[in-house]
Amino acid sequence: MNNIKPAHTHMQTTPTAYAAAAFTNGYEFTEGSGYQLPEYPFVEPPEMAAGELKRHPIVIVGGGITGLTLACALAQYGVRAVLLDEDNTVGVKGASSRGICYAQKTLEIFKRLGIYERIASKGVQWSVGRTFAGDDEVYAFDLRQQATHSLSQQPPFINIQQFYIEGFLVEKLHEAEAKDRLVDVRWSHRVTAFTQDADVATLTLATPSGSYTLEAEHVVDCTGSRSPFRTWCQAPVTAKKGDDRWCIADVRFKNPPPVERHTWIEAPFNEGRAVWQHLMADGVWRIDYQMAPNADPELVSREDVVRERLNAQFGRTLAPDECEIVWVGPYAYRSECVDTLRHGRVFFAGDSAHVVSPFGARGGNSGVQDADNLAWKLAAVVGGHAAAPLLDSYHAERHEAAQHNVMVTNRTARFLRPADGAERLFRTAAIGLAKRHAFARQLVNTGRMSAPNIYTRSAACVAGSTGSGLATQNTAFAWADGSPGTLADLLGWAQGRLLLLIFGTFSSTAASRLQALTATTPGIRCVQVLAANDRASATEHIRDPQGHVRATCLTTERPINAAWALLRPDSYIAATGPNIDATLVQAVAIAMGVEV
Amino acid sequence: MTRLINLELNFQDADAFYERLLDAHQGLSPAQSALFNARLILVMANQLGDTALLQSCLDTARLATAEQSQSL
Repeated sequence: MNNIKPAHTHMQTTPTAYAAAAFTNGYEFTEGSGYQLPEYPFVEPPEMAAGELKRHPIVIVGGGITGLTLACALAQYGVRAVLLDEDNTVGVKGASSRGICYAQKTLEIFKRLGIYERIASKGVQWSVGRTFAGDDEVYAFDLRQQATHSLSQQPPFINIQQFYIEGFLVEKLHEAEAKDRLVDVRWSHRVTAFTQDADVATLTLATPSGSYTLEAEHVVDCTGSRSPFRTWCQAPVTAKKGDDRWCIADVRFKNPPPVERHTWIEAPFNEGRAVWQHLMADGVWRIDYQMAPNADPELVSREDVVRERLNAQFGRTLAPDECEIVWVGPYAYRSECVDTLRHGRVFFAGDSAHVVSPFGARGGNSGVQDADNLAWKLAAVVGGHAAAPLLDSYHAERHEAAQHNVMVTNRTARFLRPADGAERLFRTAAIGLAKRHAFARQLVNTGRMSAPNIYTRSAACVAGSTGSGLATQNTAFAWADGSPGTLADLLGWAQGRLLLLIFGTFSSTAASRLQALTATTPGIRCVQVLAANDRASATEHIRDPQGHVRATCLTTERPINAAWALLRPDSYIAATGPNIDATLVQAVAIAMGVEV
Repeated sequence: MTRLINLELNFQDADAFYERLLDAHQGLSPAQSALFNARLILVMANQLGDTALLQSCLDTARLATAEQSQSL
């Protein structure tokens, strides 16, 4: 496939040191076309010059959105790591398709990592989606109306170019003075060989000043869909290849269309094929056209051909100054899932673990959520708060999520490119009914938007406990002094430990049990969650006058009668329970990977 | 008592049903596929049973047919 490279016409000269790089937003768009990405310098690591073989507890390979999220999360938990990136920039030079839609759960993670405000001010919020077939609107949705999105402090979605997020994460990692940084980011480091045994993993690296070797106790592969670790680990992959072809045009209009997600299933201006239209930062629109399966990728991405498509869409000839073409990229998608996300010391995360079609924004969002899932477990195990088997729950939880995402995106792909015969017939029938009847709108599938996955088969989520394996939302509450707080703040306060939330008042027997539990378990912090008129009996307490914390922790399909909830650092529920007794003690052990 | 036709969302899991429906047609010839649909309609109609309700279903499908006649 022929990828069109983004223009790098005004590339910065490579600075010689991090300080000189002055992490400004150097990746604003240039005046002309293309994205200007920041460049980060190669620094020869001291161990290379010294010829020393160094062993690192955690090595992350790949500085994309998954690897950088993991690095930031580990740093926040106070854990050291090395991040190796083969490139010297964020973004991928020449990549055809990169993420633009970030879901609420992902935004909540970025809130915890301290980059949410930058994303919110740079990106575009949206919640309204409209689907068209031919000239008619088939249906519309507003995600803000949906209960699953309503309690969070973050919006349902923000659209922003992926490299901005990656740039913000890099800048976050470099906030501290070089000597105080917990994550050592090594640019221009390509892994050329890998071995592992019972004791350690060994990585050979190619750099601008030659090659060297380092050892790692844990390796996280975030190298993307062309991961070399799949071969090195002989990791079996379940894959499905499609013949559907698309071509992205990222364009900037002088008179911008409305801030809504528009999807056409059968666009009259695209020979009856699908079209996607979505706004992102800097007033740039991503317009994604479904192509004929035999389309020539080089031809369809030529500027004059792209302009022809845009003219057809807007029904008139757009002058060059009305519509600037920023970036063009043809792509074909496939679905892939590594069968086991852990191979010895290696953990697969993000696209190296799973690749899906772009419908519903389930690629980048699940990479970030993989990283968030693995980060606290690695931190807890390396820090000695949890048992080593906790790391196996990463596979159980995120493989279930990946399989779900593969299933959901494959269904959309099938709706958008139905096989001739019955598949196309049913689609035509569903669209016809959907124009008139609400029931059939649910059959029209232009993408099921990324939502938090549910973990049903994890040994670290207490089986049979209501709400276990469900994600909570970043709800608001009041700290003991009355100032406003959110669940993300509370998780930050817990610093990577499990958060035991006790709802309402409790007896003195319960109080002494809690005291005994927290005194003997360094991996948890306990907080009492009080309704408006409850009297505090614990020093650490918060006020939940609107009951939002209670609702997000204790409401599944209907409110449950529980006295406590055990919340993990990734904001998932490990267990809930009606009584402060031995079941609570056991739940804490299970959530920390102890087999009971 | 006659039930009224329900044209609001009533599927427990629309996407899963749709997937199974398409899967059921995989590998069938056009004639086999049409016959499968006919059998399915009869099986489902028997679940409804109610004469007036079945008439409403026929009317609903017929309306959509009229609207879509140009696209076929």
